[in-house]
Amino acid sequence: MLADLGTASLAAGLLTAPLAALLWLRVALAGPAARPARLASAAALLAAATAVVALETALLTHDFSVRFVAENGGRHVPVYYTVTSLWSAMDGSLLLWLLVLAAYAALLARGRPDRLRAYAMVVVSVVTTFFFALSVFAANPFRAVTPAPADGPGPNPLLQQHPAMGVHPPLLYAGYLGTVVPFALALAAPLAGPAGRRWLRVARPWALVSWCTLTAGIVLGAWWSYAVLGWGGYWAWDPVENASLLPWLTTTAFLHTTLGGGRGRERWNSVLACAGFLLVLLGTFLTRSGAVASVHAFTDSPLGPLLLGFVLLAVLTATVLTGRPRTAPAPAPASPLRSRGTAVLGNAALLLTIAATVLTGTVLPLLAEPVTGSRAAVGAGYYHRTAVPLAVLVLLLAGVTPALRVRGRAEALRRLVLPGAAGLATVACVGLSSRPGTAALTGFGAAAFVLAGLATARPLLRPAVLGHAGLALLALGVAASTAYGRAEERTLRVGETLRVSDVSVRLVSVQRSAPAGRMAVRARLAVSSAGTTRTAVPALRYDPARETAVTVPAIDGGVRRDVYLTLLAVSADSGTATVRLAVNPLVGVIWAGGAVATAGGVLALARAVRRHRHRRPEPAGARTAVAAGAPA
Amino acid sequence: MTRRRLLVVLGLGVLVTAALAGLLRSAGPAGRADPVAEVAAGLRCPACQGESLAESRSPIAASMRQVIADQVAQGREPEQIHRWFVQRYGDEVLAQPPTRGPGLLLWVVPAVALLGGGLAAARTLRPGRREAAGPTVPHGRPRSSRIVWWLTAAGLVALVATVAVAADRLTPPATRPPPADPAVVSLRLAQDLEGQQRYGAAAQLYREALTARPDDDAIRLRLAFALLRAADAPGAERSAREVLGHTPDSPDGLLVLGLAQRTTRPAEAPVTLRRFLAVAPGHPAATEIRRLLGS
Repeated sequence: MLADLGTASLAAGLLTAPLAALLWLRVALAGPAARPARLASAAALLAAATAVVALETALLTHDFSVRFVAENGGRHVPVYYTVTSLWSAMDGSLLLWLLVLAAYAALLARGRPDRLRAYAMVVVSVVTTFFFALSVFAANPFRAVTPAPADGPGPNPLLQQHPAMGVHPPLLYAGYLGTVVPFALALAAPLAGPAGRRWLRVARPWALVSWCTLTAGIVLGAWWSYAVLGWGGYWAWDPVENASLLPWLTTTAFLHTTLGGGRGRERWNSVLACAGFLLVLLGTFLTRSGAVASVHAFTDSPLGPLLLGFVLLAVLTATVLTGRPRTAPAPAPASPLRSRGTAVLGNAALLLTIAATVLTGTVLPLLAEPVTGSRAAVGAGYYHRTAVPLAVLVLLLAGVTPALRVRGRAEALRRLVLPGAAGLATVACVGLSSRPGTAALTGFGAAAFVLAGLATARPLLRPAVLGHAGLALLALGVAASTAYGRAEERTLRVGETLRVSDVSVRLVSVQRSAPAGRMAVRARLAVSSAGTTRTAVPALRYDPARETAVTVPAIDGGVRRDVYLTLLAVSADSGTATVRLAVNPLVGVIWAGGAVATAGGVLALARAVRRHRHRRPEPAGARTAVAAGAPA
Repeated sequence: MTRRRLLVVLGLGVLVTAALAGLLRSAGPAGRADPVAEVAAGLRCPACQGESLAESRSPIAASMRQVIADQVAQGREPEQIHRWFVQRYGDEVLAQPPTRGPGLLLWVVPAVALLGGGLAAARTLRPGRREAAGPTVPHGRPRSSRIVWWLTAAGLVALVATVAVAADRLTPPATRPPPADPAVVSLRLAQDLEGQQRYGAAAQLYREALTARPDDDAIRLRLAFALLRAADAPGAERSAREVLGHTPDSPDGLLVLGLAQRTTRPAEAPVTLRRFLAVAPGHPAATEIRRLLGS
């Protein structure tokens, strides 16, 4: 019953999405009323929503006759993780993907139905059609299982450990798909005639939506890795992580090149707008097809060839539509070296280089295999030598912004003296008192440079200030935790102590339990530092249904540092336990930085929406609206 | 005013010098904490997905780290150690591809991107050479728009049809084997360890290799020999019996069993060893065993 409803709604989506594309194309070409087209888009949204509700209901009611539930549901799974198991495997997450995509389409359809929007809706509807087709033909989660099993294995145990599981994937999807609207608008602009000139004004708030959700999603994902995977790190330059970083980089560049209406940077704007979505598609192909090995690959699927075909189609379309030479001349304001124009383009060039670097490192194993016959690997060391120095340069460039808005070179230099002194003093003090390594040291200096420059900014509550401050805090936390993190691993008898810097850990006891056949071992540890003693209980769990062992780290978080404990092994007689103790300084600052940066994005978005509502109709070409967001 | 400026410049000069000193000190060789971890970070764990030797917890990684530690203790340079590993296990053990062939792309692409991006930025900034602000494509006439509409409709049908047809031919991705066969790596490492007479550690690696290839009796025999030499006679006996369970007349199985029994059940040992001599009278160890039984 639920299975039929789900399949029917997917089929309905597969009919309404192309219908919407054709109706919107009619609006764009001939200009009739947009109502039927809007209704078709709304129907596609309804179809996607029905499918999601049907699958969630099947999961919650343990209807194991539905294939996806039989593969990913389980009676022992708590309600929260039953809900989140919708996106713990490919077929279900494709439904969430469709829901977000259709919702964005319906939102975009609400605006004034000019030719720009109509053409953009055609693009979005074609993308929606493709994903509906994927879901119906290649990854239908509603296929029946006969006979229906009595119970299922539940989702991957790693995906049942952390509450971030409920927020992180939906946020990332919202961010990924947010890039489809700027992409569609960039493709629509050359087709839409005079209405096409406004595309940036429409695209920028959407890029902000994408940027905020991506930032929050990536940082939450790092937090999830840190709290669940048990190796004590938050970023490993893994293909799946890289795939989420790529669109973030281009969207960040896009938000900067479109400042001040993006005048004089038309090519940059359209290339960056397209790059975001193309990288999302490429990343989906890389991570969903099993093409590259990843620790986060929870959702391998056979969809690789289809996704790759669609990536190529999208690249081709984007090149044909936006690559055309344009004729109409634009006024050319000269931009001096010290101007927002220079900084913004330098930033874009650097971010694009980082994106190219990360992309090369991610796909190289794939490219090298047919040539050399061996499967090469690109480890974190490569990114530390390439992407990290470039990121420090981006940070330094962000620190220059306070000097861009003042008149006169002397005044600009004066603005930079204090931040510069702060940065240099940081490098000197930290470098002379400890040896954190060049990358971390320059990171500290650049972060201090940015933060000192922003400290005098008035008003403080500006998107650019928050965004840059968040980035600097993030850099500070990353540099500190990489340079000063210490870890040690040892097999302890009960009563023995392990010590790292000023933290010592004593093994109190080892407990075994096996509730409902799920074996778990816990080590009770007394953690003492600075005169106080607390108890931490890291665990090892074994999931017989999936035949996997999962380490559950115990994290004693603090402002200054985290004490991170992992239980690695326990002897058969429970007399000894192998424990890893890590002391990670300033990891909390990373999460705080992510939150501050996201807040900056949300503020920019709120202003953009407000401005959008209050904007009076203006005479055409009177003024290119400074679209929302960060005045540098 | 001038004096103040002089003070500022002086202060900044001092800070720049101090910062440079800090950078130099931090970049110096003593800044590196652990030479073994340093070398290990450049090598890949053969049994894991995308982890370096430094961070992996697999037993193979542990023994490879031990090899690195030994070589570091012998005073070998990181490059030499890397070369040693590459010679044994191929380029795949490197955490980063060598800078030749496709590996060059890792450096060429970023360089080209930076150069291209910089040039494009410079071109955009040069006044007078602006690109068009607005796209200007003439609006299609009704006839051509009808063609466009029908073409789009056909394209959509083709898109859906392609997915529908292709979906039936998709095969799920094969589960990829780990980059280098962990069993092979374990075996090589174990043989190295035996060469260094570290039989206990070698036995551990043979066990590791056995979990990957549980049916390989050659490995099981090696394990039995290693255990025998590590003075773990009961373990050696158990492994030998497993081998004999599969191949009752295995000469090597009988040999190890007999030698192990000399410790565990001295009464049965001569019987087993005589059986060994009966099965394989020309075995290289036969003369030694005859001598043993004779005395």
